[in-house]
Amino acid sequence: MVQERRILYEHLDVPNINTFDVFRQYEGYTRFEKAIAEYQPEEIADMVKESGLKGRGGAGFSTGEKWSFVPRDIEPRYLCCNADESEPGTFSNRYVLEKNPHLLIEGILICCYAMGIETTYVYIRGEFTLGKKMLDAAIKEAYEQGYLGENVRDTGLNINIYSHPGAGAYICGEETGLIESLEGKRGQPRNKPPFPAVQGVFMKPTVVQNVETLCNLPFIVGNGVEWYTQMGPTYGDTRFDPPKADPNTGTKLYCISGDVNEPGVYELELGLTSTELIEVAGGLRGEEVKAVIPGGSSAPILTHYELDTRLDFTSLTLAKSMLGSGGIIVMNETRNIVDCLLNIMKFYAHESCGQCTPCRWGTPWVRDIVQRIADGEGRQTTITRPKFGVTESGRWGDTGETEEIYEDLDLLENVANNIANVDTMTWNTICVFGIAVSWPAVSYMRKFKPEFEAAIREGKLVTLPVAEATVPPEENYAYQQRFIPKEFADL
Amino acid sequence: MSDEIIQIETPFQFNEENKREFDELIGRYPVKEAAMLPTLHLAQRQEGYITPAVMKYVAELLELSVMKVKDVVTFYPMFFEEPVGKYVIRVCHTLPCALRDCKVVLDHLKEKLSTDVASETNLAKGTTDDGKFTLMKVECLASCDVAPVIMVNDNLYKNLTPEKVDEILAELPN
Ligand SMILES: Cc1cc2nc3c(=O)[nH]c(=O)nc-3n(C[C@H](O)[C@H](O)[C@H](O)COP(=O)(O)O)c2cc1C
Ligand code: SF4
Ligand code: FES
Repeated sequence: MVQERRILYEHLDVPNINTFDVFRQYEGYTRFEKAIAEYQPEEIADMVKESGLKGRGGAGFSTGEKWSFVPRDIEPRYLCCNADESEPGTFSNRYVLEKNPHLLIEGILICCYAMGIETTYVYIRGEFTLGKKMLDAAIKEAYEQGYLGENVRDTGLNINIYSHPGAGAYICGEETGLIESLEGKRGQPRNKPPFPAVQGVFMKPTVVQNVETLCNLPFIVGNGVEWYTQMGPTYGDTRFDPPKADPNTGTKLYCISGDVNEPGVYELELGLTSTELIEVAGGLRGEEVKAVIPGGSSAPILTHYELDTRLDFTSLTLAKSMLGSGGIIVMNETRNIVDCLLNIMKFYAHESCGQCTPCRWGTPWVRDIVQRIADGEGRQTTITRPKFGVTESGRWGDTGETEEIYEDLDLLENVANNIANVDTMTWNTICVFGIAVSWPAVSYMRKFKPEFEAAIREGKLVTLPVAEATVPPEENYAYQQRFIPKEFADL
Repeated sequence: MSDEIIQIETPFQFNEENKREFDELIGRYPVKEAAMLPTLHLAQRQEGYITPAVMKYVAELLELSVMKVKDVVTFYPMFFEEPVGKYVIRVCHTLPCALRDCKVVLDHLKEKLSTDVASETNLAKGTTDDGKFTLMKVECLASCDVAPVIMVNDNLYKNLTPEKVDEILAELPN
């Protein structure tokens, strides 16, 4: 059985670890002291790059690379810590804030030192009253102990941290939405470029980083890059294994919820499979796994055919899904996928910020189609359309054949793909919220098509047995990238 | 909405404690506008909801038009423009909570408080006649491991069942 590898969460349950004195007993702030004593700022930035650390907030972008885009000659620069944590299924940042806030402060200090930043805003979602209280208390202690404020520990550095409450809008987790919100406006994302690294909050260079990402920094500095890069998947020879060049290093705070016996946050090395994770989380509640959402509700769903997919950044991208925020939601055989999609689409229809027409109108439209199907009023007319599949050349494409499909399912796919096209990965919107809508909509429908068809045909929700509800990978282009590389691999 | 049209009967002002907190807040940002959300939170805590008088006051403090403040208030679900009950009960209803029967909890609350669920544009619909409770549905509260969850004002309650809901309600001071 896979073992937990607690690094960030190692001391989480130590009594009073939220106080400076206790945190100090567990090497607290020594990693920051090591950073300022032994390394130049640029060396820290290089270390972070070499460590292969990827952002844990959703996009999975290389942290070191992001830092390298920040112009070092423009003052002032800012750090925004993203503690908005509103992706359904994600709850790891909350525990850091509530139980071990000094760890986050130490991470922030290291980032500030490496990037020459003097001001950090921690954007905490409005509902985290306790988390904000604990962080504020820890910040106060850090000021008293001389780790924050002017001339930190007699190094000449000035570093300030302020917490900033959100007010219940999911879209403020998107980095430019967060920045707008921080500036005191509606949290509507900005067009990119310019990226925040160049022009962020108050139009100054800004590093936006998730809580978990920042909490990795003390350990990279304290234990070294070599130690850090040893954590993560070791690859065998299966064709789905990510290339070495794309690092998946370190641990991940996997948040597991839904149909498992012991839901919770499990810190494990990146790269275990869904089956292993369910086992760690006390096993499945139910008989059979029907589906797994691997990275918060925005991530395309995985079927029981894909339970051996490794839950790391690259493997999931190859599987046409994503690790996202690491929020894993498990569904057993009693769940109806149409119903689950309806729940998620209601969420997105509620949370669209309303700036872009495709998203503002398309998202409620998708919700309404799913609602109608769930209510047993799906349109029973069918249409004929070109069938996609493996063509003679061995690649994916138009097979020249046609298929019959219920009008509403074609409409669902069409509306979703016109918000953001999941096949070409192009979007007609300002931010990637659009993708977060169409990814679940299209993947649920394609992978669990029989259940959608049954609901339309029977005029009511019908929960099919797992094997019947799921479209096999060979027949479906929702799995495209996962199963097609075989052809290329054999070349 | 221009500033002159707003009819304000009793002006709003921060109490001393909140004024102090505001003075500390405003120093954190290079532009005053950035203090918007924390300032509105302070005001809502004092007044219960965001009245036109509050918006006017906040606009003056931050040197903005009332329109700008209103613009922000309407965007964020946590700011109320109508009176709410003494206890605001937020029931999470997103997928992980739905998989753990949050509907049972919601239905139980509806029955127990004999009220409907508030909508963002109609808070009165979910507010009990005695003004003690407002019941609303919210999206994922980042506590899916202890689903189903509710928040009563600032406090989170976990792993709920109808029995636990009864206990919680019974323990709330009047
Ligand atoms: C719709 C949307 C919601 C997001 N919500 C969050 C969030 O709640 N927390 C978070 O850390 N990142 C969130 N992100 C990702 C951020 O945009 C950004 O990539 C991240 O904060 C960068 O930090 P990282 O590189 O450390 O992950 C969201 C992105 C999108 C498009
Ligand atoms: S895609 Fe949706 S959420 Fe993103 S900016 Fe456009 S309207 Fe807003
Ligand atoms: S879905 Fe209810 S807390 Fe996440």
